[in-house]
Amino acid sequence: MARLQLKNVHKRWGAYVGVDDFDLDIADQEFLVLLGPSGCGKSTTMRMIAGLEDVTEGEIWLGDRMVNKLEPKDRDISMVFQSYGLYPNLTVYENIRFPLRVRKVPKEQHHEMVMRAIEMVELKDFMDRRPAELSGGQRQRVALGRAIVRKPTVFLMDEPLSNLDAKLRVSTRAQIKNLQSKLKTTTVYVTHDQIEAMTLADRVVVMNKGRIQQVGTPTEIYDNPANTFVASFIGSPAMNLVEGRLADGVFTSEGIRVEGLRRDVTADVTLGFRAEDSVIAATGGQIAAPIYSIELLGEASMISWRLGGSLISVRAPKDFRAEIGETICASVPAEICHLFDTASGQRLA
Amino acid sequence: MKHKTFMAFIWPSLLAMTLFIALPILSVGYQSLFVEHEQILKTAETCGPFGCNSQVSIDAEAMAKQRAEQPAGRYNGLGTYTNASHLAFGEISEIVATSKDFNEIRNRIMNLPFYKALVFTLAYTFIVTPLVIVTGFFIAIVVDSIPKLFKGPVIFFSLLPMLVTPLVGSLVLFWMIDSRGIIGAALQALFDDPGLSLKASPTLTWITLFTYGVWHNAPFAFVVFYAGLQTVPKDTMESAMVDGASRWERIRFVTIPYLMPLATFIALMQLMDNFRVFEPIIGFSAAASATTLSYLIYNDLRAAESPLFGSAAATSMLTILGVVILLLPVLRRNWREFNRKS
Amino acid sequence: MSSPALRKPPSLVALSTAFVLFWLIVAAFPFLWTMWGSFKVEGDFFSRADWMNALTGPVTLKQHGSPFTLDGYEGAWIEQEFWKAVINTGIVTFFVVTISLTLGTLGGYALARSGYKYTFWLLMAALVFRAMPHVTLVSGYLLPFFQMNIWGYLPTTIIVLVAINQPFTLWMLHSFFLSIPKDLDEAAMVDGCTRFQAFRLAIIPVMWPGVITTGLFSFLLAYNDFTVTSMLLSQDNLTMIPKLNGFLGSTQEDGKVMYAVAAVVSAIVPLFVLILFFQRQIVSGLTAGAVKG
Repeated sequence: MARLQLKNVHKRWGAYVGVDDFDLDIADQEFLVLLGPSGCGKSTTMRMIAGLEDVTEGEIWLGDRMVNKLEPKDRDISMVFQSYGLYPNLTVYENIRFPLRVRKVPKEQHHEMVMRAIEMVELKDFMDRRPAELSGGQRQRVALGRAIVRKPTVFLMDEPLSNLDAKLRVSTRAQIKNLQSKLKTTTVYVTHDQIEAMTLADRVVVMNKGRIQQVGTPTEIYDNPANTFVASFIGSPAMNLVEGRLADGVFTSEGIRVEGLRRDVTADVTLGFRAEDSVIAATGGQIAAPIYSIELLGEASMISWRLGGSLISVRAPKDFRAEIGETICASVPAEICHLFDTASGQRLA
Repeated sequence: MKHKTFMAFIWPSLLAMTLFIALPILSVGYQSLFVEHEQILKTAETCGPFGCNSQVSIDAEAMAKQRAEQPAGRYNGLGTYTNASHLAFGEISEIVATSKDFNEIRNRIMNLPFYKALVFTLAYTFIVTPLVIVTGFFIAIVVDSIPKLFKGPVIFFSLLPMLVTPLVGSLVLFWMIDSRGIIGAALQALFDDPGLSLKASPTLTWITLFTYGVWHNAPFAFVVFYAGLQTVPKDTMESAMVDGASRWERIRFVTIPYLMPLATFIALMQLMDNFRVFEPIIGFSAAASATTLSYLIYNDLRAAESPLFGSAAATSMLTILGVVILLLPVLRRNWREFNRKS
Repeated sequence: MSSPALRKPPSLVALSTAFVLFWLIVAAFPFLWTMWGSFKVEGDFFSRADWMNALTGPVTLKQHGSPFTLDGYEGAWIEQEFWKAVINTGIVTFFVVTISLTLGTLGGYALARSGYKYTFWLLMAALVFRAMPHVTLVSGYLLPFFQMNIWGYLPTTIIVLVAINQPFTLWMLHSFFLSIPKDLDEAAMVDGCTRFQAFRLAIIPVMWPGVITTGLFSFLLAYNDFTVTSMLLSQDNLTMIPKLNGFLGSTQEDGKVMYAVAAVVSAIVPLFVLILFFQRQIVSGLTAGAVKG
């Protein structure tokens, strides 16, 4: 009943294209994350869903209603903003009650609904304070409480965690996930942080320059990135990418040679592999080159090389020691490699 | 910053303010205790063939000498404060004793020059100030919503009534409300009363002056509110939209609370400026129906024969007292805020 | 705007357009009307017969052969020597602005950078001083000035106006200085400047917008002053505004009221030009106090 469909949605300001042909079906109760760097059109997409921006072309359907022409208040959504958008003159209680008040929900139901929301976001002790007297995390929870106080068809969250410090972000992230699974409300969540996307999402939409790059579950996106952009955006550290030549099943580039790859393609390709899949070897690996740097991370060390103009990192055991400039080898078996067409950036089919 | 450096930077400013603001206030306080010298009269007897004629005249020489010795006049203590043209204690007790009812007391007190001016000054201050805030707010809200292209010109014309010299502004309006001016003539036509004149009745004069006050001051409130509107947090505004607030509710719950501190600021500025209102009285030639404390002082200093320094000084002291009372809440609030910060 | 939420129903658009037009007329019409009328004779500007006469000017046409006349201006500027007052106003405003800004930037900077308690008291004193009706101060000046024999001269008035404007100037510049990060002067001082050099070389260059805005308001205060100039200047040294008030006294005879009208318009025009060029600064100045205060 709360399915959300975006049908070939475009957003243009004059000649500038903000969102280009966004087409997606979001299932009821799904937690969808829009992920991408700043300026990629993810926030614009969300604001179009909310009705805060006009749709230039295409249609947005909420359930069985086409909502393009509806005002935000008539779309039955609720939204959490990056800087929370709390009403500074109202107490926490009144902030959370606000949507009920302006939507003319019968007065006698207010208290119960507000108290339920307050308990869910654990703000009982701060009910009578004003936003100025709260910490960042508490304000964030007020914004959440205000979003869940009534039962909207869709939750929209626009980078709700980006103003919190690292520690708080982790706990609030868990809280959001928990709330959504309890409330079972369709949720669209915008972020530029891929870890948030991976941990929260049922499905992730990776966007860049106004276009959808890939749609899929976090695992799909992590394991099978559709192009070099997704490959380099997802994962920490990002996937290693080396440009080179593939011929007769052999990939060659400066300091790296991988055999046993597909033989049906001869082209300039980009080879990708994840740092944690590769292993440092004393001798005889696919990579053999002087190292560029070694970083101690605590639980491991990160060894990197400069190969063909790009920086390649591989995880090494934490007690691994080497000097910069020393030649070190690493194994990159064909099984862990992804191949992308260098010219288009697309994964080789 | 060290005390010494601080002083090095601020002393010229301090000196100017001490010499020309603080000292004059003391000087006013001192002057208010004195009144003008009595005229020294001399009788000159001129005897002619038909007997002697005695003539009384002012002894200019003796008076000049006296003035040089005691430039402030003769000491009068608090006499000036209590005389008929100031607090008029004697007159008031007499009025209270002899009047039949409250109305008569009120009317008779309103005829005492100081109270007449005080009442008008207070009425002007406390009627014009809120009207200015409300009017300015409305203009700001509306101008904020018109297309960008028109905003510049609208702001340009809006600034005129405020920035033009009060005397000039009031003259411009005064000429228009003249019974032969466009507004005066239009009102006569509107009410079908050829005798109608805004200058004739005290009530109409008061209303005219209030209108002038709003006209002159509303642009200030408008500009401040307008600038404030540009900084209303977007997130909060959009939250309210999504939460389901109507246009009016957005103004009521987001815009107005956000602009409240600005309203306080405008109110403070307006209270100070309106309390010393003075030029419009001259511009509108309204002294017969409405005077203000500032006008009383001006009038005393402009007195036909010689300035009534004592009387002007006493009114000044009472006015300063009024200003301080007016500012007391503000000072208290600032003090508390300052203490919280440090 | 591009959001459906910001789109307004047509009735509201009509209403707000009407309101803006109404306000524009209220704000601007009196000035345009008076400017137009200043080129007429009294019989037209104050017409007993028909208010339209002020627009078309039949009496002016009859008397001068053209619907416009410079009679009022001629009378005011030449016959009544308004030009002298204009020069005096120029002198007074120039010196008041220059001196006010010099003292004000120094003092405002000190107030913005010192954290001691007395800065608070100084600012509060300035606030009280700013609220003082000018005429009460004037009543304190007259007697001493008479005695010291400095009454009636331009320099006296200039110094008095500077002092009276000082509280306002200090507040405004103080709030502008507060918006400049302390790091800037500290960096300059670490680099080897004295406090004054830091002020002159590092702070003032970035303060220009604030200084210009404050200067505009000092100008307005000096230009618009009536109380001080009318009481402290002798008849020969009057500036525009008190001079113009003098015309009112002598307007009982026929035609003289037009001198006052012409003088009023002459006094308004420079303000017109000023607003035209400095609208942005004026707006920012009006709000500067609000943001910090």
